[in-house]
Amino acid sequence: MNLLYGRERVVGYALMTLAILMIVGPFAWIFLNSLKYQVAIYTGAWVFTPTLSNYAEVLFSRRSDFAHNVGNSLIVAGITTALVLVVGTLAAYSLHRFRWSQWIATGFLGWTLIFHTIPVLTLVGPWYVIFRQLGLYDTLTALIITHVTMNLPMTIWLMMSFFKDIPLELEEAAFVDGCRPLTAFWWITLRLAIPGLIAAGILAFIFSWKEFSIALNLTSRATATVPVAIARFAQQYEVQHAQMAAAAMIATIPAIILMFLGQRFVVRGLTLGAVK
Amino acid sequence: MLRRRVVQTLALAAGLITAAPAMAQQPFADVGRQPPITILINSSPWYAGFESTVQLYEKQTGNKVNLDVTPFGGMLEKARNAVRSGTSPYDLLNLDTQWTIEFYSGGFLTPLKDIDPGFDLPAEVLTYNDSGYWNDAKKWRTRDGGKLMTYSPNGNVHLFMYRADLFQGAGLKAPETWDDVMGACTKLQQPGRVYGMVTRGERGNGIRFDWMPFMLGKGATVAKDPENGDFTVVINSPQAKQALDTYIDLMKRCGPPNHGALGQSDVIQLLATGRAAQGMVVVAAWSNFDDPTKSTVAGKINAAVVPKFADGTHGVVIGNWHFGVPRNVPDDRKKAAMAFSKWFLTAGAQRAYLDGGGIPVRKDALPPELASNPKYRWVKAYVDSQPYAKQELGYAEGPQVEQILGLRLNQALIGEMSSGRALNTAAKEIEEVFRRSGRRTGASAALPE
Amino acid sequence: MPSRLLDLVHNTFRYWSLLPAIVLLLVITVYPALQLLQMSVSTIEFVDGRDVWSFTPGRNIELLLSDPVLPPAILNTIIFVIVTVAVELSLGLGLAILVGRLPHGRGGARTAMILPILVPPVAIGSMWKLMYNFDFGLFNQALDGLGLGPVNWLGSTNLALISVIIVDIWHWTPFVFLILFAAVEGLPVDVIEAAQVDGATNRQITWLIVIPMLRDALAVAFIFRAIFAFKVFDEIYLLTSGGPGTATEVVNLHLYKVFFEQNQLGYGALLSVAFIAAILAFLLVSRRVTRDTTR
Repeated sequence: MNLLYGRERVVGYALMTLAILMIVGPFAWIFLNSLKYQVAIYTGAWVFTPTLSNYAEVLFSRRSDFAHNVGNSLIVAGITTALVLVVGTLAAYSLHRFRWSQWIATGFLGWTLIFHTIPVLTLVGPWYVIFRQLGLYDTLTALIITHVTMNLPMTIWLMMSFFKDIPLELEEAAFVDGCRPLTAFWWITLRLAIPGLIAAGILAFIFSWKEFSIALNLTSRATATVPVAIARFAQQYEVQHAQMAAAAMIATIPAIILMFLGQRFVVRGLTLGAVK
Repeated sequence: MLRRRVVQTLALAAGLITAAPAMAQQPFADVGRQPPITILINSSPWYAGFESTVQLYEKQTGNKVNLDVTPFGGMLEKARNAVRSGTSPYDLLNLDTQWTIEFYSGGFLTPLKDIDPGFDLPAEVLTYNDSGYWNDAKKWRTRDGGKLMTYSPNGNVHLFMYRADLFQGAGLKAPETWDDVMGACTKLQQPGRVYGMVTRGERGNGIRFDWMPFMLGKGATVAKDPENGDFTVVINSPQAKQALDTYIDLMKRCGPPNHGALGQSDVIQLLATGRAAQGMVVVAAWSNFDDPTKSTVAGKINAAVVPKFADGTHGVVIGNWHFGVPRNVPDDRKKAAMAFSKWFLTAGAQRAYLDGGGIPVRKDALPPELASNPKYRWVKAYVDSQPYAKQELGYAEGPQVEQILGLRLNQALIGEMSSGRALNTAAKEIEEVFRRSGRRTGASAALPE
Repeated sequence: MPSRLLDLVHNTFRYWSLLPAIVLLLVITVYPALQLLQMSVSTIEFVDGRDVWSFTPGRNIELLLSDPVLPPAILNTIIFVIVTVAVELSLGLGLAILVGRLPHGRGGARTAMILPILVPPVAIGSMWKLMYNFDFGLFNQALDGLGLGPVNWLGSTNLALISVIIVDIWHWTPFVFLILFAAVEGLPVDVIEAAQVDGATNRQITWLIVIPMLRDALAVAFIFRAIFAFKVFDEIYLLTSGGPGTATEVVNLHLYKVFFEQNQLGYGALLSVAFIAAILAFLLVSRRVTRDTTR
């Protein structure tokens, strides 16, 4: 990229900082709220007596299995991301690299988009029936399968767009050298698509992490995930803002850590012995 | 913490006074050994009370009960999934009053007496306008010719809250009529600091539920006689218009500028932060007002029955929950669910429920001594409201009617159309809905717009 | 692995790379989709614990055409889609290029950008509702500090939709950023350096080289952002319930009310099908338009 220098760089940094502040600002506010009593949240007070009781209630009260829910979410989101990256990237590469008949390629890609536009509300009913009959109701497996399917369209389209930007000559050179498609894919194409993999992985993780409707319908208390747990604080006649803020904070941290580690893993795993 | 200790002391005293059987030793009802059951229940202010009562059941009888605590927004979905296919994972469903018609008429629940022919609701149990009974011929919730399908673990009614300290300071008595409310509001409001009166105005269920006390107070209703099959639309009656005009007047003159967007959370917030002198909320919201960690006006708010019109009655709408047993559950679990229910409805269990923070559904679990305790000053208004409490929209088209009203009333409130035109439009759309579902319906004379 | 098996794996790479995706998508998605189609021409009632289907396409279509809430919902949805997609694509693109041209701070920017889309929508909705609160919210407090009067963010028919759009922009620009930034990171350095050697100005490089090279990523970001914008639900449900009046009513919210709250499964399904068709039509048209203009 053409870097910015001098005064333009300073302005650039200022703008970036401003953008980051605007994005992160509300979170600082949630964090403050998580330390307040409900009355201070209601009055929007900036001067208040801090308390850790909200965190205590979220983590330790009898009604809440929050730590357990976070664990469920980590498992579901983690495995979903891994699976969807594998399945989606392979499919994307296959569609991009190999000659498929127009019917299959367009039909498949078209169906992914059509499926993506169907309101989830109309899908959960039939899925409940299917998974209940398979005996997979109230399991994390059912959630993982549906989450992978929900995320496939975006992952495939994303990875295809990143593959398109990798110059064909690199792969062709490898073929000339006697390299087979799978090998070329693994050692060359994938390496060059690392930023894309990271982006697709992050997005898949995020969508699985915060997915609510399917999790609500296919799980019960033992297998509930974070969004379902947080929604418990939005009750029929009132929202328990303080506890919800604490829950949101607690839930965000492991997710960020996992994604951070995941990024490292992808980069390190794929650049071992990189050939460029 | 402190509140719980006070409550526990009170319960002990109440127990001694009324000579309840030793709560810790004998089970309140002999239900025998039962297989474990699962209850679908929502996360709510009264859940803690329910959960502690359930634990007491488990301790006394040795029977296991699983509670699937679900967010309110997911209750209906889960209940529907459970009954529509295969075997239900839940043995007791908790249904909000608006959903009961769907489940009763769809045949999804087994009548309670079919499971346990010897079961009878104790006379002291509140029945909230008979919403637990279903007369399938008339498709109406009534004890007359109806079967017992569900019972209520919790009954929410509107109460009218007011700042006792402000009223005292201005020499006002507790409000009895809407004119009193308007008078108090004019005296007590301070623009930008204190609003005279607040209630929900938000589009949808919010405004519908909070306007209906006004409607009922004037004797108006949506359909003429739905119990006997007459679905002539009468919502656009002069009485209803007066009710709507009074409501809008109060909101405009006494409420905040964003009255058209007030939800229940907002109303609670305004009352709890001292920004409102009067307000209408459900009794379940009371816990927000006396807790110093939740309000700045602890101890200053009193409850009264929802005011009436000078020439009308008190209009009180019920929003109660219902425990029902799904049809697609094996028989032994159905019996276990009934065993729990029988136990739950005993006086002892209901008193334990009150201790835990729930609102009991037996009249005798609310001993009169409680009313003189400042912590329970809402109880008198709650009990006094019961004779006027009514169920509304008790027919299959209920959700559609609610959405029509929820939109048109809101449009009248924010000034997009006149109250007459709003009611006329709503009446026309509601009539259309009734006609499509094959009801005997018709229109009333249009109001002047 | 024995070498013959390895050969087999290599030779069939083309097939088994695509197969899992096809299997998943077919097995899991076809049944619900077919059921939706069937529902859209039926009326479903529940009697005696069972569902009873009757074939009533005419009735459903008539319901669709006579629904008074639908026209404002469609209008609001179109406005919502156009504004949010345009703003978010521009902001996301600008930010991605900006961060790409700064030597440091990429990790921090990426981590920060993940936060809004990570937190469950219910928490975001409640949080913004508090911030927009008329009496005590953050924004009105700030305005008060500046000596200005409070603004009725969610309760005024003029402002409600804009307030919701602002929340959406905050919520989803990071999504666009993440996609575009990944593409920026993958840009071939040599092309840009060659242009610089040739004496191209920064502006020329950005507009004539960088942005065109981001075209594929932009297309994906546009498609998915547009689909999400059409399907907007959580923000509106939590902030305004479609009010005041019909100021923030959108199709997906209305669909929820019809299909779920009112339990009109047949009509709701028809509404879904019509909605899906409209979104796809929109995507096809925009694809044709952009293809023609970038010729």
